[in-house]
Amino acid sequence: MWPGFTSTASGQPLRAMITNPPRGFVRFSEESFMLDLSESEKDVLINLSGQLVEILAERVDAAHADPLEKLVGITGHDSPPDDEVLLRLLPNAYADPVDSSEFRRYTESDLRRKKSQHAMLVRSQIMELESGSIMLDYDEAKAWLGALNDIRLALGVRLKVDEIANEGLDLLSPEDPMRAVFAVYSWLGWMQESLVLALMEESDPENAEENGRP
Amino acid sequence: MLQMDGKVEELTDPLFFVDRPWVTIVWDDPVNLMSYVTYVFIELFSYSKERATELMLLVHNEGRAVVTSGRREEMERDVARLHEYGLWATLARDDH
Repeated sequence: MWPGFTSTASGQPLRAMITNPPRGFVRFSEESFMLDLSESEKDVLINLSGQLVEILAERVDAAHADPLEKLVGITGHDSPPDDEVLLRLLPNAYADPVDSSEFRRYTESDLRRKKSQHAMLVRSQIMELESGSIMLDYDEAKAWLGALNDIRLALGVRLKVDEIANEGLDLLSPEDPMRAVFAVYSWLGWMQESLVLALMEESDPENAEENGRP
Repeated sequence: MLQMDGKVEELTDPLFFVDRPWVTIVWDDPVNLMSYVTYVFIELFSYSKERATELMLLVHNEGRAVVTSGRREEMERDVARLHEYGLWATLARDDH
């Protein structure tokens, strides 16, 4: 796992130590979350969520699937995806390939649909945005959380973060095109972490006072 | 005299192993955030923050941890929900 960004040695949130830091997600009430986005940040999120929807759509349901089977969510897909990114997003549920295939046949379609819906929501909400601030309700915030994580999983596979330590990626040469991808990956991790903390505030009322709710 | 069709084990195994539970295992991966994994355990399984953190650290340090156990159908549901959240999870028979 990735340790994340917010904690310092003293246990104080990092954002409290900088004069005018980017805030990430801020929770205003039980039901509302706010995020400031620059134009380039919007572009990055629109692009990546679009790519996520596209790659999930590559795994279309088998055309010859029985209509009744399709109706109850059986896809006809029982072998794992060849693409590494898709395999990470739609992983095997069993070590045993036979059990795994059976599970996939009944569940993969639903999993793909949910992941795709999360990414499409992020994409459409940003595209419809007329300012630099976005407000999300609780369900939308949870969909964003899923989409941000899926995008990071996909980038993580492409960046091969399992082969290189997280620190090692930081040391990529300035000419390496993966450097820009890694910068985006880090930024998404920071943003996701701020959303996790905002969502967890409800179970931690003491912390909720610190965010200057209106 | 007792007459048996088929293997004896096929008849007797279900008698003894029917209650052997299944487990949901979460595996470590380099991408998921520690805070996020903790959040998912609280959200999906209603664990306390302490219990969820303990399990998250077990995954992080040992490479894997059993997060739930029960009937096979229940574990399949847990694995499906963990996959929805992007955690790397599998189910297996409890080997303990």
